[in-house]
Amino acid sequence: MQALLWMRARWIAATLTTVLLLSGCSAGSTATVGGEDALAVGFTAEPQNFDFTSTDGAAIPQALLYNVYEGLVKLDANGEIAPLLAESWTLSDDRTVYDFRLRTGVRFSNGAPFTAEDVKFSIERVQTDWTISLKSTMDVVDRVDVVSPSHARVVLREPSNSWLFAMTTRLGAMFDPSGVDDLANRPIGTGPYQVSDRRRGDSIVLSANSRYWGARPAYPTVVLKYYRDATALNNALLSNGIDVISGVTAPDSVPQFEADTRFDVLQGTTNGEVVLAFNGNRAPLDDVRVRRALTYAVDREALLAAAWGGRGNLIGSMVPPTDPWFEDHSGAYPHDPERAKQLLSEAGQQNLNLRLRVANLPYAISAAQVVASDLDRVGVNVTIEPLDFPAVWLQQVFTDHDYDLSIVQHVEPRDITTFGDPEYYWGYDSPRVRELLDRADTGTPEQQLADMREVAKTLSDDAAADWLFLFPNIIVAKKEVTGLVRNQVSESFDLTGLGRR
Amino acid sequence: MRRNVSLWAGIVLVGLVVGVALVSFAWTPHDPLLVDASVRLLGPGGEYVFGTDKLGRDLASQLMVGARTTLYVGVVAVGIAALIGTPLGVLAGMGANWLGELIMRTSDLVLAFPALLLAIMLGAVYGASTLTAMIAIGIATVPSFARIARAGTLQVVSTEYVLAARAGGRSRWWIAVRHVLPNISGIVVVQSSVSFAIAVLAEAALSFLGFGTAPPTPSWGRMLQESQELLAVEPRLALIPGAAIAIAVLGFNLLGDGLRDRFDPRLEVRR
Repeated sequence: MQALLWMRARWIAATLTTVLLLSGCSAGSTATVGGEDALAVGFTAEPQNFDFTSTDGAAIPQALLYNVYEGLVKLDANGEIAPLLAESWTLSDDRTVYDFRLRTGVRFSNGAPFTAEDVKFSIERVQTDWTISLKSTMDVVDRVDVVSPSHARVVLREPSNSWLFAMTTRLGAMFDPSGVDDLANRPIGTGPYQVSDRRRGDSIVLSANSRYWGARPAYPTVVLKYYRDATALNNALLSNGIDVISGVTAPDSVPQFEADTRFDVLQGTTNGEVVLAFNGNRAPLDDVRVRRALTYAVDREALLAAAWGGRGNLIGSMVPPTDPWFEDHSGAYPHDPERAKQLLSEAGQQNLNLRLRVANLPYAISAAQVVASDLDRVGVNVTIEPLDFPAVWLQQVFTDHDYDLSIVQHVEPRDITTFGDPEYYWGYDSPRVRELLDRADTGTPEQQLADMREVAKTLSDDAAADWLFLFPNIIVAKKEVTGLVRNQVSESFDLTGLGRR
Repeated sequence: MRRNVSLWAGIVLVGLVVGVALVSFAWTPHDPLLVDASVRLLGPGGEYVFGTDKLGRDLASQLMVGARTTLYVGVVAVGIAALIGTPLGVLAGMGANWLGELIMRTSDLVLAFPALLLAIMLGAVYGASTLTAMIAIGIATVPSFARIARAGTLQVVSTEYVLAARAGGRSRWWIAVRHVLPNISGIVVVQSSVSFAIAVLAEAALSFLGFGTAPPTPSWGRMLQESQELLAVEPRLALIPGAAIAIAVLGFNLLGDGLRDRFDPRLEVRR
């Protein structure tokens, strides 16, 4: 009897503890930051390993690109292609031959010199050894010639504007032939930092590369700290465990940092379009009137305010403001429920039932509930089905195209080209858009600019999708840290420009 | 005296949850699903008793409708467990030796498998929903009913009136229905109340993890989850559903405790 009573009491205690844990499961970090000269930066997505040639995902290039690995060119803070390991380059009149003049005196962190041989090796290795899906961008390269140790010539099969842009991403990273044996654990590049320590599930320590060709970085040691959730990351900065939050993913927590005089908050843009996808292969969403109706029905300004604290941009098409061909299409479909109802009745779709199958992620779940509430007001009944992300969502929505509506963030740079692929999960097929995208890639930069603008406009006119908002890039840093990049335009969390007050 | 206190405290707390759920069918202060960015994150008081959440929905209305979800899950999960577990336990207690062993060892196997893991597996395969959560919680709770029913059955079948009935040529079926089930019904009711509390907690945990009730249907567990990132800014959003879960779980535990004291045959003798 006593035992039973005691067990019951223990049960109640356990219950209460669990509830308390559920309501507040996050602990502050008590990590010690590595010394006076060290800088600690907090992230939420940890790299599985260091090999971005065979492992997909944004976490590895975020940590290593421009910091450990360098390419011939880089994307600067304004989104422009700038020289890095190439001092300059020229393009032939037929736009297929690039001649790169290489920087001299550059060495890899293992001591090997960087020459045109390494350029040939690295580019050819993408074609032969890489396994990630992005590698196909390198297919356009016909051959790489070593003209002299400081002169590499890249010959393309056909003109391609996107190729040089791709060289600013992880695809353009330069490797040393003797340094690729253990890419997953020992990355060797020419950048200002090298990886000196890694604690799985906790941190990566970058220390200054003594053989670096450029100026010594302001912080000889940078610790990249990884946290499982947004709250833990915020607490780490508040409790002095880190110096910088690389990206705040809980927008409603930003005001507490803005109110604190110890911190600077930088808010910029990303390449991450949060898209309400319409399955264009399925009735009734193959009808442009229905897609337009749904676009009119959603109040994106209110959605951004509700789902993401009003932080982010309305874009109205698949182009972030940092791309050269950005034009603001956010006014194309002002919130107009009456217009939506009228279009729906024109299309003969009064009692519409749609499945909104979303990634099981905070922004998508929040946005989905706003979309469902808005569409309900114009008589469209929406059932929300959260799918485990990435595995289940990728299989069922992305691969099998089993959905009516979906919400996910598209983070790849310049991913407007996905609308040129009729097999992509949008189910969008426009011969005009395909033609424009092809011409934009092979034409002159002026032609590219004009064509890409027209693609963006066409997508907006066709209501090919509803671009809900552009994800903000919110960096919070201690006041003494300078040189952080406001807009996230490249794949890298670029440490090279950092300084201190 | 003590037994009365826990029984009545249990009845009051459970009654509160049931009452709120019933009222929500007829009336809620606001539409719990209506998103309105202009009133997001309002504090308690005024038009919104408990304030609004980050999408501008009324917290009190969500809490009321969430009580429905909670009870619904509890009733179905415990129903599944009791309807399958009790007959299995009686069968194990009255049937052939090998059959009893088979049932009890199988239920040991199920018991060894974590309920949450089962629910997450079902959710991954069949999609996260209230139904998959209820089925998973129900299946995981079957063994505890089987065990308790078997123990009760073994006690009953060794009594003299059952021996007399058997000597009188009554079939096993007749004995099971006439003598065993009525005699173990008390402990099954007690077990139901306790399992109900576990089911409420499990549903909250599953919804918190994103494997339970799908949005926008209000659920206390998901309300907790959605408040997680706002913990430092608006702790109210976590504390209020947290308190609701605590009240429901405490209520069903106390109710089970009180009922056990009433139904326990040994206490009956002493009285």
